[in-house]
Amino acid sequence: MENFLQSLISGLLIGGIYGLTAVGLTLIFGVMKVINFAHGSLLMVGMFAAYWFIKLSGLNPYLALFVVVPLLFLFGYAMQHVVIRPVFKAEKDVREPITVIIVTTGIWYILDNLSLMAFGAEYRVVHTSVSGKIFDMGGIYFLQSKLYGFLIALATALFLYWFLKHSKMGKAIRATSLDREAASLMGVNQYRIYNIAFGLGTACCGVAGCVLIPFYYVYPTVGTIFDIRAFIIVVLGGLGSIPGALLGGILIGITQSVGAQYMAATWTEEIIYVIFLLILFVKPSGLFGSRYDY
Amino acid sequence: MSSIARQSSKDKILLLAVLATAFVLPMVVTSPSTMQFLILLLFYAYLTSSWNLVGGFAGVLPLGHAAFVALGAYTSTLLYLQYGLSPWLGMLVGGVVAAVVGIIIGIPTLKMRGAYFALATIAFAEAIRVLIQNTSQVGPFNVNGPRGLLINLKGSSFAAYQFTSKASYYYIMLVLLLMVLGVTVLLMRSKLGYYLSAGGEEPEAAQALGVNVAKYKLLAMALSCFFTALAGTFYAQLMLYISPQNICGLNLSFEIAFIALIGGRGTILGPVLGALLLRPVNELTRVYLGGLLPGMHLVIFGLILVLVMIYQPRGIQEPLTRLYRRLTGGGDDQDHDQDQDTLPKAKEAVEL
Repeated sequence: MENFLQSLISGLLIGGIYGLTAVGLTLIFGVMKVINFAHGSLLMVGMFAAYWFIKLSGLNPYLALFVVVPLLFLFGYAMQHVVIRPVFKAEKDVREPITVIIVTTGIWYILDNLSLMAFGAEYRVVHTSVSGKIFDMGGIYFLQSKLYGFLIALATALFLYWFLKHSKMGKAIRATSLDREAASLMGVNQYRIYNIAFGLGTACCGVAGCVLIPFYYVYPTVGTIFDIRAFIIVVLGGLGSIPGALLGGILIGITQSVGAQYMAATWTEEIIYVIFLLILFVKPSGLFGSRYDY
Repeated sequence: MSSIARQSSKDKILLLAVLATAFVLPMVVTSPSTMQFLILLLFYAYLTSSWNLVGGFAGVLPLGHAAFVALGAYTSTLLYLQYGLSPWLGMLVGGVVAAVVGIIIGIPTLKMRGAYFALATIAFAEAIRVLIQNTSQVGPFNVNGPRGLLINLKGSSFAAYQFTSKASYYYIMLVLLLMVLGVTVLLMRSKLGYYLSAGGEEPEAAQALGVNVAKYKLLAMALSCFFTALAGTFYAQLMLYISPQNICGLNLSFEIAFIALIGGRGTILGPVLGALLLRPVNELTRVYLGGLLPGMHLVIFGLILVLVMIYQPRGIQEPLTRLYRRLTGGGDDQDHDQDQDTLPKAKEAVEL
């Protein structure tokens, strides 16, 4: 029982962070109807940025958030503006432009391998002031850094949800995701909205990167693991739904962590894929998705 | 229709010249490593052309075709190792298995929108890979999990699908490639091609006109999976070793799809052109830059991908066709090119 609780909590904590990367992905999809295949690579960029910030400055790891998150926002904003926008414009009549998916995959190849060239293939870990510290909750132990990471991820997701619901910019983003043309007619500059949505999605990767670094290792293709997982989570939660992505992330985290108690880790991976395919077949709109998106 | 049939004699001469070169090449090339490179070139051209049957014509983006390569390779190899069944027969069994699996996967997924279909195929391929890695024994078959399967060397034996000369493999792949291209031409010229093109571009409109889009997409999927699986058996016999990592990985799935897309999907020769261009670029950059800058060849691949999508979203076959028309002075107008190489638009299908 204790093992079960232990793995449940551990899965919940890491699931929140999976959820946050998926929130970024689902936000971009919601607005642009494009799966950002470079998402894992952007997470890798966020992790490396946090890694170098902490390593070089020696400051508290969570201070990295204030540098890395704006940096990643700008990175995503610029990438969308320079690379993705021209392709998107050429196919603006298509609801889900496949060429854009391919461009993001090209970016994935480029980012991962540039980072391989710059930093080499080795796994890197940075020692921080929270590394290895443990909370003891009546016999159930978990890493402090995982709890902080979970709370920060949760707060970020809630903030984004609030931002989209209530701020003026958020309303413009939602309007664009509902109907590009109508939003344009109402005076919304759709391409600026795409830049901002992409920037916000990338900033989520920045947050996730910062909170992962105190207890996770970073290497150039680290994004691939999170990429595939994020794809599964967004469909599970319903493409375009932020609460769905967060909940989906937690469900996947728990499945993986609890499952690992009872079987080999490679089998839990299989179970996650099978759950995913079953959901696609039975209820493709996911937990909270719109039925117009599948 | 008439403009498709109206093929200028210059086109025929070029086609014959290319075919003749392809047939003569193994007699001229002596180095085994160059032959291996040429074989893999044809192998990729074959895979992208097989992918094109569904990826190019059914309006979806399959990103998990490596799973069908693996199904083909594992079916024929397991049957050969366990019962001594000739891989030639195993190849056909593998093709049928892949086609059936393709249909099972296709029924729920082919009606989904682009993103969902792409993600479903990725998840399916990964599920197959993890399944193979986790399985050591199924009934009488020793799948051997992540360690893969080794085919014992038999020397030159037609029945065992093993040859000491690289040329034999080359010709087998060339024939397979011509076969899948022939099927592509037939598909494009048949009613099925028009239906698919209509269904790919405007599924709702085609549905409204009474075209059973789902059925034709499934058929395209089954054909594509069948041919893809044949390549799996070929690969197993060429390398005499298969493992889930090298034959069912995401990398292979993505490479197949992206080479086809760079070449030009939904055209007869686009995927082949893509392979002819990208495989050498990949090989050369990997050989010459790989040692100095690991990963550089993939950065270049990524850059090509991004640049082609920005400047030639319909693939490199379009500017190449235009160039060819200008050189031969044959192309009187733009529409002519379009009719030659790309599918007629949905509205023509409706008129028919």
